[in-house]
Amino acid sequence: MLKSIIAKEIRANILSFRFLASFALLFVIVTVTSLVLTGDYLRRQDEYSQRQADLGVYLKNYAHFNRIGNILQPAQPPIPFQTLVRGLTAEVNLEQFNDDPLPVIFPLIDLTFIVTILVSLMALILSYDAVSGEKEDGTLKLMLANGMSRSHIILGKFAGGLLTLLVPFLLSVAAGMLIILLHPRVTWSGADWGALGLILLGAALYIAVFYLIGILISSVHRSSSSSIMTSLFVWVLLVLVVPNLSPYVASFLSPTPSRIKVAREVGRLYDTDRDDLGRKLAAESRREVLRQYPVLEERLTEDEVKKRVAEDPEYRTAYEAARAANQKAWDEANRIQGAKGKVLEDDLRQKEEAQTGLARSISMASPMADFTYLATELSSTGMQNMLHVGRLAGVWNRVFYSEYQPRKIADLKAKDPTADVWNTAIDMTDSPRFRYTEEGLGGRMGAAWGAFAVLAVYIVALFAAAYMAFIRYDVR
Amino acid sequence: MTWTIARKEILSNLLSYKFFIVLLLMVLLVATSLFIMHRDFRQRMDDYQVVRPKPGDPIALVAPNPMSIFAKGLDDAMTRSFEVRAIGIDVRAGQSSGNIIYSYFPAPDFLYVVRVVLSLVALLFGFDQVSREREQGTLKLVLGSSVSRAKVLAGKWIGNFLSLAVPFLLVTLLASALLMFDSNVQFSAGQLGRLAFILVLSLFYLGFFLSLGILVSTLTKRAATSVVVLLFAWSLLVFIIPNLGTLLARQFVSVPSVRALTEKRQQTWTREILLSLKDRDWEKHVRTISSENDQLEQDYRLKFERLVRLSQNINRISPAASFLDASSEIAGTGIGEESRLKQEVVRYKDSIIDKIIAARRDGDGQYPAFTYAPRSLPEIFAGGALFDTAWLIFFNILSFALAYVAFIRYDVR
Repeated sequence: MLKSIIAKEIRANILSFRFLASFALLFVIVTVTSLVLTGDYLRRQDEYSQRQADLGVYLKNYAHFNRIGNILQPAQPPIPFQTLVRGLTAEVNLEQFNDDPLPVIFPLIDLTFIVTILVSLMALILSYDAVSGEKEDGTLKLMLANGMSRSHIILGKFAGGLLTLLVPFLLSVAAGMLIILLHPRVTWSGADWGALGLILLGAALYIAVFYLIGILISSVHRSSSSSIMTSLFVWVLLVLVVPNLSPYVASFLSPTPSRIKVAREVGRLYDTDRDDLGRKLAAESRREVLRQYPVLEERLTEDEVKKRVAEDPEYRTAYEAARAANQKAWDEANRIQGAKGKVLEDDLRQKEEAQTGLARSISMASPMADFTYLATELSSTGMQNMLHVGRLAGVWNRVFYSEYQPRKIADLKAKDPTADVWNTAIDMTDSPRFRYTEEGLGGRMGAAWGAFAVLAVYIVALFAAAYMAFIRYDVR
Repeated sequence: MTWTIARKEILSNLLSYKFFIVLLLMVLLVATSLFIMHRDFRQRMDDYQVVRPKPGDPIALVAPNPMSIFAKGLDDAMTRSFEVRAIGIDVRAGQSSGNIIYSYFPAPDFLYVVRVVLSLVALLFGFDQVSREREQGTLKLVLGSSVSRAKVLAGKWIGNFLSLAVPFLLVTLLASALLMFDSNVQFSAGQLGRLAFILVLSLFYLGFFLSLGILVSTLTKRAATSVVVLLFAWSLLVFIIPNLGTLLARQFVSVPSVRALTEKRQQTWTREILLSLKDRDWEKHVRTISSENDQLEQDYRLKFERLVRLSQNINRISPAASFLDASSEIAGTGIGEESRLKQEVVRYKDSIIDKIIAARRDGDGQYPAFTYAPRSLPEIFAGGALFDTAWLIFFNILSFALAYVAFIRYDVR
C-alpha cells in the first residue's frame, strides 16, 4: 500500500509545473555556478603559483632571520573542493589594508548557498499543500474511505516527495561535477568523494527537514493559501533571520574586550612600559654591581672602557658582571611585561572563543546554519580547517625555527664569526616550506557530526509532529 | 472608481490571514533588526571612544556612522584604525573579526530586511490579485459593471501598495523615532534626509515587486502556479543574480587577492630595511617602501574599481542590486565611500611620511590629525546612485506597464 502511495506522489509531482520549474532552475544554476567557480578556482591556483615564484626569488636574495617571520607565513593553497563550496575562503580580510569588500555586500554563490536557499524553498513549494491540497481536491476523503491508514499516507507522502526532489537535485549536482571534473587541472581525490557523499547526505537531511515543515504546516491549515503563507513565514525565520541574528545576539550575551584596545594595550606593555621597567631594574642591578665592584664608579668614555677591558683583568670581570646583570634586568623586564601581555591576549582569545561558540550554538537552531556548518567543515573550508591550518603551522614553525634556523646560523658563524646573523641575507630557498594537507575525513566528520545530529533530531521531531497533526486532521 | 477598488483591496487585506502574517513579520523583523544593529553601533561607538587617537598620533580613524544602523554595509571596514608607520600602514580591525560566525551570514540590517524579506512580502501581496478574482468569479462581475481595466489594475495596485507601505512606514518611523531617544546616536539633519531618501527607494523597490506579483498573476491561470513562478523569480533577482554577477565579473577582471598584496608589501619593506642596513641610508629606503606601496595600491585600486564597475553593471539586471548599491552609498557605507576613505588614508600617509622619517632623527613627532569628510549627496548621486534610482523607477514603470498590457489581454472567463 505504502508503495502505491509513494508511486502516486512521485507521478503527481513529476508532471506538475512546480516540479519542472524547480528542476530546470536548479539544473541551470548548479551548472552555471560550477562553471564560474571552476574558473575562479583555476585563477586562484595560477595566482598561488605566481606567489610561490615571487617568494622563491625573495628567499634567494633577501631572506634574513630577523624578519623572516613576516615573509614565511603559512598560506593555504586553493583546494579542489572550492569549486563546489567556498566556505570561509572568501577574501574578506579586515586585518589588511586592502580588504576585499565585495563579498561583504554580495556573498558568493556556491553549492551551500544553492541548497540552503533555493532547494529548501523548492521543498516547501512541493510540500506546502501536501495535506490541505488533497483535502481541497476531495481526494483525501476517498483515500481514507478506502481503508488506508493515516500513517501510511503521511509516510508515503514524505517518502515520495523527498524522492522527487532528491532526484533532480542529485542530477544537477552530477552535471555540475561533470563540468568540474572535465577540467584537466582539477584533481578530485578519494577523500573528496567521501566528503561530497557526506555533504549530499546532509543535503538530503536538510531537504527532508523542509519537506516535513511543509507537510506539518499543511496538516495544520485548512486551506493551501494560508498554508503557503505560514510556510514562507517559517522559512524566512529559519533561513534568513535566525542565522544572521546569532552572532549579534551572542555578542550581547557574551561580550569580548575591544580588539583594537587590547592590541594597543599589549603594544604599550611590550614597548614603553617594558622600557620603563627595564631601565628601573637595570639601574637597581647596577647599584648592586657598583657596591660589589667599586672600580666601575669611574666615568670613562667608550674607547677608554674598551682599552681598560683589554688591559685590566679585574676591571674586565667587573665589566662583564655589570653586563650580565644588565642583561638579566632586561630579560626580567621582558618576562614580566610579556606575562602581563599574555594575560590580556589569553583573556581576549578565551572570550572570543566563548562568543564564537555561543553564536554557533544559537545559529544551530536553524537547519540552514546546520547545513552550512556541515558542508564547510566536510569540505575543509570551515572553522575546523582553520584550526587544522593552525596545527600544521605549529609543526612547520618548530621545524623552521628550532631545526633549520640554528643550523643555518651555525653554518654562517663557521664561515664568518663576526657576521650579524640576524641581518645578513642568506639563501633560504632550501628552507622547509609550509605544506598544506587537508585533514583526514575522520577529523572533518568529527567537526560536522553535531550539525548532522541536529538535523536528524529535527526530522524525527517534525515527523512526529506532522503525524500527530495529520491524525487529528479533519478531512471534511 | 479607482479609489473604490483601492478601498475594497485594503479592507479585504485587513481581514486576511496573509495580512496578519505579513504584519507580524514586518514588525518583528524591522524592530529586531534596528534593535540589534543599534546595540552593535553603540558597542562600536564605545570602542571608538576608547581607541580614539590622542592629538599628535599618526592614526587615521573615523567614527562609526549612525546610518550603519540601517545600512551596515562596509562600516566595519571603514572604522578600522589605520596607523601610519615608516614601513607601511598598520591596520587594526574591531570586534567582529574575532567572531568567525559573522563571516558566515550577512548582517541583518534594515536594508537586508527590506531587500530580502519585504520584497518577498510585496510579492505575496501581488501573487493572486488577478487569478484569485477570476477563480472566485468576482473579476467578471467587476468588469461586467463596465469599469475600465486600467482603473481596476490601478485600484488594485494602489490598494495593495498602501496596505504594504503604510504599516511598513509606521513601523520604521516608530522604531527610528525610538532610536532618536538615545543620546549616543545623533543623526544630523542631512542624515535624516538621507534616511528619508532610503525609505523612498525602499518604497520604489517594494512597488516593483508588487507590480511583478500582479504581472505574473495575470500571466498565469492559477494562483498556485503564480506563486511558484514568483518565488523562483524572487530568488533569482534577490540572491542569485547579484551573487553570481560578482563572481562572474571576477572572471573578466583579474584582481590580485588580499593575500598576494600583503605578501608583496611584507617582501618590500623587509627587503628595503635589509638593504638600508648595508648602505646606512635608512631614509632613502623608507621612501622606496612608501612609494612602492603607493604604486601597488594604485595598481590594485584601478583594477578593483574596474571589477566593482563591471560587477555593478552585471548586477543591475536585478533591481535588488541597484537598490542595495544606491542605498548603501547614500547611507555612506557603500563600496565607493570605503575606497575613497582608503584613498584619503594613503594621501594622509604621504603627507606625513616626511615627518615620520624625521621623527627617527629628532625623537617623538607630532602629526596633524586625520580628517575625513564623507561625500556629499550630489557627489554620491553623480557617482552612480542617481542612475540606480532612475533604474529602479524604470523597473517600476516597466513592470506596471507589462502588467497593464497583460491584464488588457487577460481572458476573464
